[in-house]
Amino acid sequence: MADNTHALEIRDLSKSFGHIKAVRNASFDIPEGSIFGLIGRNGAGKTTIMRMMMNVYLPDSGEILLRGKKVDQAFRNSVGYLPEERGLYKKMKILETLLFFAELKGKKGKKVSNKAKDYLERFDLVDRINSKVEELSKGNQQKIQFITTILHDPEFIVLDEPFAGLDPINTNILREIILEKKREGKMIIFSTHLMDFAERMCDHIAMINHGKIILNGSLSSIKTEYSQKNVTLTYEGDISFLENHPFVEKISDFGNSTGIRLKDGDQTQEFLKLLLDNNVKIKRFDAEDISLHEIFIELAGKGPEEDFSFAQ
Amino acid sequence: MLNNRIIAIIKRELREKLMSKSFIIMTLLIPLFMLLIIGLQMLIAVYEGDKGTRIELITESEYLTESCKTYLTQQDFVRDGTYVITYDTVPRRSLKSHIEERKQEILSEKLNGVIFVPSTALKNKKIEFYSKTPTNISIFEKLDNHLNEVLIDQYFSEKDLNDEELNFARMGVSFNGFKVSEKDELEEEGFGNTAMALLFAFLIYFSVIFSASMTLNSVIEEKNSKVVEVLLSSVNSREFMTGKIIGCTITVFAQMVIWLIPIIILVTTSWITLPESFSIEISYGHLAFFLFNFLLASFIYQGLSATVGSIFDNPQEAQSGFFPVILLIMIPFLLAFTMMRNPNNPIAVVASYVPFATIIVMPVRFTLVDLPVWKLILSQLINIATLVLIFPISGKIFRIGMLRTGSKPTFREVLRWVRS
Repeated sequence: MADNTHALEIRDLSKSFGHIKAVRNASFDIPEGSIFGLIGRNGAGKTTIMRMMMNVYLPDSGEILLRGKKVDQAFRNSVGYLPEERGLYKKMKILETLLFFAELKGKKGKKVSNKAKDYLERFDLVDRINSKVEELSKGNQQKIQFITTILHDPEFIVLDEPFAGLDPINTNILREIILEKKREGKMIIFSTHLMDFAERMCDHIAMINHGKIILNGSLSSIKTEYSQKNVTLTYEGDISFLENHPFVEKISDFGNSTGIRLKDGDQTQEFLKLLLDNNVKIKRFDAEDISLHEIFIELAGKGPEEDFSFAQ
Repeated sequence: MLNNRIIAIIKRELREKLMSKSFIIMTLLIPLFMLLIIGLQMLIAVYEGDKGTRIELITESEYLTESCKTYLTQQDFVRDGTYVITYDTVPRRSLKSHIEERKQEILSEKLNGVIFVPSTALKNKKIEFYSKTPTNISIFEKLDNHLNEVLIDQYFSEKDLNDEELNFARMGVSFNGFKVSEKDELEEEGFGNTAMALLFAFLIYFSVIFSASMTLNSVIEEKNSKVVEVLLSSVNSREFMTGKIIGCTITVFAQMVIWLIPIIILVTTSWITLPESFSIEISYGHLAFFLFNFLLASFIYQGLSATVGSIFDNPQEAQSGFFPVILLIMIPFLLAFTMMRNPNNPIAVVASYVPFATIIVMPVRFTLVDLPVWKLILSQLINIATLVLIFPISGKIFRIGMLRTGSKPTFREVLRWVRS
């Protein structure tokens, strides 16, 4: 039975290229109306997952469900896709290019043409409307590529590394449009290795490492959970009893302080009591906030086998 | 079958190709190129490069030498200086020493050769030629008929024949071809249909080669510019390949129709009148068959070249994969030429039912000989079967190949794609 809160469900997707397993049993859900970030290091498998979502690659196994049903051409018609490796016909004129890609999605006519001109104006490219794509700078070509992604007013906007290669001004324009689309009720799915962008824009994320989803859920719950699990401790006394203790997942000695990761974020109070019961003199006990970047570094540094899942 | 996405791709292909300068240039250039080739061949035939050929003609009798001289000096190729012939009378026993004397001139090519007409030639017509290049067919072809006539004159001069009888004896045999067909009348056949068969073979060959290489490069460009990923997110690979091939085929088909306009005018109107020896016997049905066959040929070769293009990353590497495709059209093209001499050549007859070969061989054969309709239908069924067989395979290779980059795949790897 499909969960109505999930627009897209990725179920056990796997894809290999020869002996290389690019994606291994990846599963995650993308809730309705969210901005979803697929994050991971370069080569982690983000693009392969996106390509499978777009039916560019056929998965070796697994499936993608749109509101409980397998994705089909109707889904593809309702998606705007910006691939990581941008590509346009170099000899085509800009307006022709925009109208061609809109027509592939079943949209044509005066309305689309006017909308294309509006977007060109917004990106400061309206004076280049009759230029050939090859006559534009790489950055401007990227803007055209982005317009082709959204011109047909898709319900889903899938962006693979959308900010790569853009200057700060155009990055802002792009971000504004993405947020505007979210306000219009569109779903935005993007991949990035830039954690600060993901943290600022996403409601939900899935983190992929070595082809495996190692973390997924709502950003707020992930951060809450992670900050609760992380304790920074400054103390006097002997804490060797914490090694292999069932509460503790990991201990990192930072010199002046010690970082302790608990297995369960709900055990913070019990952990504090444990220290006091063992006569540890506590100078500082901080159940700290944590950035997505830190979570990423922490998890991406681990082996591929570990998996963390959070409630949404 | 043709949805909006395929139509959008077809429209883009037509906009890019049909409206392009290169299409207009190629449409004009290929007929010019063909005319150039035919003109060049004619020029070579007319100008054989034998201007200034120096020959010494020797016989064993003064009388025969004089007869040769009298006859040959009247010929155009001697009068205009193309051939410079000197004459001498030398008996057989002195021939060797005579050749020795001429040896340096022959070796330095100041003298192209010595023709010796022995007295026995009046009985067996055997003539000897001494030269650095003793198998010079051009000299034989130029002189054999003339020397034959001199010998005939000599032979019959003692037989007391009148001029009419002598002229008859001089004449060779001339064949006139009459076509036996389903029609009631027997019509004398000129060389028009042979020329037309040659033209058809050239048109199919050049058009297929040029359009296939155009498709090959266009696919490689789409792959290199990464536009294919955006396309495949909107359409599936089958739709993309279908749209592309149909677009390219419409382009080359339009080009072919433009090239055939003079032939269509010739067949449908009486605006152009050809000399009788070049009269063309071609019907509407013939043209329709040619165009239908070309349409299928175009689909087949566009499909093959799109497939090859999808395998490789750059045009240089693609040439190695494109070569077998070129062979598939080049071999039947060469076969078609052998048919010009004998349209019922068994190899050509078999080839007209062999996949790929039938594309050129059958239209050429049909232009030269009348064929029953079932044979024509059979050849087109073979084309359709070829198309049906190669398209699923091409589609599989295309889908995987278009998104693959990196080192050139091995043949075994491509086979794996097909099996996948």
